[in-house]
Amino acid sequence: MASDDRDNWESPLQFVLACVSYAVGLGNVWRFPYLCQMHGGGGFLIPYLVMLLLEGVPLFYLELAIGQKMRLGSIGAWTAISPYLGGLGLASVVTSMYLCLYYNIINAWSFWYLFHSFQSVLPWAACPVNSNRTGPIEECEKATSTQYFFYRETLNISPSIEKSGGIHTGQALCFLLAWVITYLFIIRGVKSTGKVVYFTATFPYVVLLIYLIRGMTLHGALNGVKYMFTPKMEELANPTTWINAATQIFFSLGLGFGSLIAFASYNQYHNNFERQAIIVSLINSGTSIFASIVTFAVYGFKATINYENCLDRTRILLLNSFNLAEDSIILNNVFEMIEKLNTTFPEQFAELSNKLEDCNLENELSTSQTHHLNLGISILRLLWITQAVEGTGLAFIVYSEAIKNMPLSQLWSVLYFFMLLMLGMGSMLGNITAITTPLRDFRFLSHVSNEALNGFVCVLCLLLGLGFTTRSGNYWFTMFNDYGATFSLLLIVLFEVITVSYIYGIKRFEKDIEDMLGHRPNWFWKIMWGGISPLLLIGLFLFYVINYIQGGTPTYQAWNKDLGKSEQTEYPLFGQAFIGLLLVSSVSCIPLTALYIFCQRRKHAQRQKQQRTVNTVAA
Amino acid sequence: MLGRIVFFLCLPSVLAAQLCKPNAAEGFKVRLSIKTALGDKAYEWNRNQRFLFQAAIAFAMSHHLELEFNVSNILVCDETPRVSFWFVVTSPGDPSRLVGKESVELAVRESRSRINNILLLNDATLEFVGVLPTLTAPVKPATPSWLIVFGVVIGMVGAGIVFLLVSTVVQKKRKKNEVAEEEDDDEEAQMKRTAGNEGIYNTSFSEYDRNTQM
Repeated sequence: MASDDRDNWESPLQFVLACVSYAVGLGNVWRFPYLCQMHGGGGFLIPYLVMLLLEGVPLFYLELAIGQKMRLGSIGAWTAISPYLGGLGLASVVTSMYLCLYYNIINAWSFWYLFHSFQSVLPWAACPVNSNRTGPIEECEKATSTQYFFYRETLNISPSIEKSGGIHTGQALCFLLAWVITYLFIIRGVKSTGKVVYFTATFPYVVLLIYLIRGMTLHGALNGVKYMFTPKMEELANPTTWINAATQIFFSLGLGFGSLIAFASYNQYHNNFERQAIIVSLINSGTSIFASIVTFAVYGFKATINYENCLDRTRILLLNSFNLAEDSIILNNVFEMIEKLNTTFPEQFAELSNKLEDCNLENELSTSQTHHLNLGISILRLLWITQAVEGTGLAFIVYSEAIKNMPLSQLWSVLYFFMLLMLGMGSMLGNITAITTPLRDFRFLSHVSNEALNGFVCVLCLLLGLGFTTRSGNYWFTMFNDYGATFSLLLIVLFEVITVSYIYGIKRFEKDIEDMLGHRPNWFWKIMWGGISPLLLIGLFLFYVINYIQGGTPTYQAWNKDLGKSEQTEYPLFGQAFIGLLLVSSVSCIPLTALYIFCQRRKHAQRQKQQRTVNTVAA
Repeated sequence: MLGRIVFFLCLPSVLAAQLCKPNAAEGFKVRLSIKTALGDKAYEWNRNQRFLFQAAIAFAMSHHLELEFNVSNILVCDETPRVSFWFVVTSPGDPSRLVGKESVELAVRESRSRINNILLLNDATLEFVGVLPTLTAPVKPATPSWLIVFGVVIGMVGAGIVFLLVSTVVQKKRKKNEVAEEEDDDEEAQMKRTAGNEGIYNTSFSEYDRNTQM
């Protein structure tokens, strides 16, 4: 048992806010709306809520119970449950370490965008002028100004992961700032974190509400919201929908990192975590749904603007080719005029046909990732819908594109990126606490002060994470994001559930909960822990493995500056080796630790036997 | 005699018609989008507005080549309802000779913003087809503005951290002093007690009588 002078949250509210702050992150704001729209709008809520019930809340409850009972970080808690399973905690710490290394880069980007919003014209609103001032820079023209700002000015991205380039100083400075602020937030452990979460947990909701009001009044916003809420029920028959829902719930709640165990370990022994678990899970899902309404309003606005720009370009093309008066074609009668001109001047119209774009609002809305592809310097443009491209960077590109069209865009930009910062920082608090809490539990570190230990962890992560600020850093970031935590977390949580249900025993676990709460858990929880959740997790795990094997060589999206778009490229050998290392390193902690403890015990038992024989001989 | 006079009078306009034609070698196509630029305040394109355009081009040519160009040196033809037309520039010395395309282009580029302002239009709404726009150079401040905001934020955060660390150290020192003082106090109190006590005080022989005197 941990010592009695363990730090505590000042009130249960701080604990709840800390959990909310940790769970509610960028995924709620951009990944859930993306999944929602990909899997048939409103209909996606059904598999989402079902998975929340079957998998999300029971596993959340489980982790909080363990943390609050053991009053130790993840390593100590699992070692207390069964000495052979200390590796489970160690695997959590290693995974959290990977997460800490790359997650703060997102905060660095948020800072970069936030600081660049304090200008009279947003830098991503227009392409910068080229060196002889005759037009915009070529790369920017081929892509869009928002993409150019992200890939060239924010990241200065290299053409592939092999070419690492130097460190981007602006990025590195923002990264440093992100870590300095993280340190400030955790400097005294729970005492500091507890105060910070009042702000990081609540401020994003204020911004979301403001955006909701602004978003609903934007031109064309209702197109987006209508699109989202028209359910396409046939998507429910697609197994990918259910798998994506399960994965989203799982990762959104932040299970398996050890953060929840760490947070709960600072609770009072009789804290009612059952109610808090349900509340936090519901808040997390509610926030996803709320954020997706806002997001779809903004997407609707962006799609409508793009559609109207397309119509306008067509109108000008017609006016210029047929030398008609300016007011003869307006946006509303573009399509009629196309018909009329086609019949009146068929030969002239035929010449135009390859330059005419197909303007379609549905196409603009159907995925949020629409790229304008400029082939050469002619006015030939195609609206191209890319399905496969997704990544955290897209959240920045898509939103900044929508914001630049709003009136008073600097204000909206500042609000939005500050909200992203709060979301990201809140999640970082949990990630870092997952590392410092188990470290603090080790006896040989107990004389080191809180400030020094936290500072050491922050500096270490800062130095190791500088690699992500190089010109190829975004490719490494994507690798860590895709492989660093996904696979190992599933295994970790699967082991957790099986350990508690079968190795520790549901009966003992029940009694512990009764000890803490005063009542035993419902039959519902027991069925979930014993049966449904492990089965779901095994299913998800198998799906990931099959997907990984079937997918062939892992690929990433490399930015091609000459074409102004991303291309799928295979990882080089060292990249694939590193992926393997990432996957294996955290998961292997479990069997390796078990083996180590087993060997230690055998040695210890042998020595004891020797001593006893010596004693009997002596006696 | 009369016929010759009429011939010579008609010659310039005939020449003009021959010099200025669509897709002329030394000519430029111009496209105006007045309604897009000015909306309700759009002016009607008529002879006077055309005269203003010719004057603006004449100004640009004079400014660039430092010769005296007149409005009559700018020939406009093939006007369409779009408001687009072709124009050519004739040399002031010899009205039958056209000024080269490159000179005209350079002149227009040099005075482009002036011409735009005269006609209340901009680079996008007053198009010289084939002439690249001259965009204004971006204004670069000495220190990029983002760096200033960054400096302020990191300064404040750094100050916060230093303050918290110093206060922790000060608190610890104070606690150490307090504990040291307490220990000293404890010892003194203990010593006093051991020095003062020679045994347990027996109250049976005290003067104090719990029972009241009858």
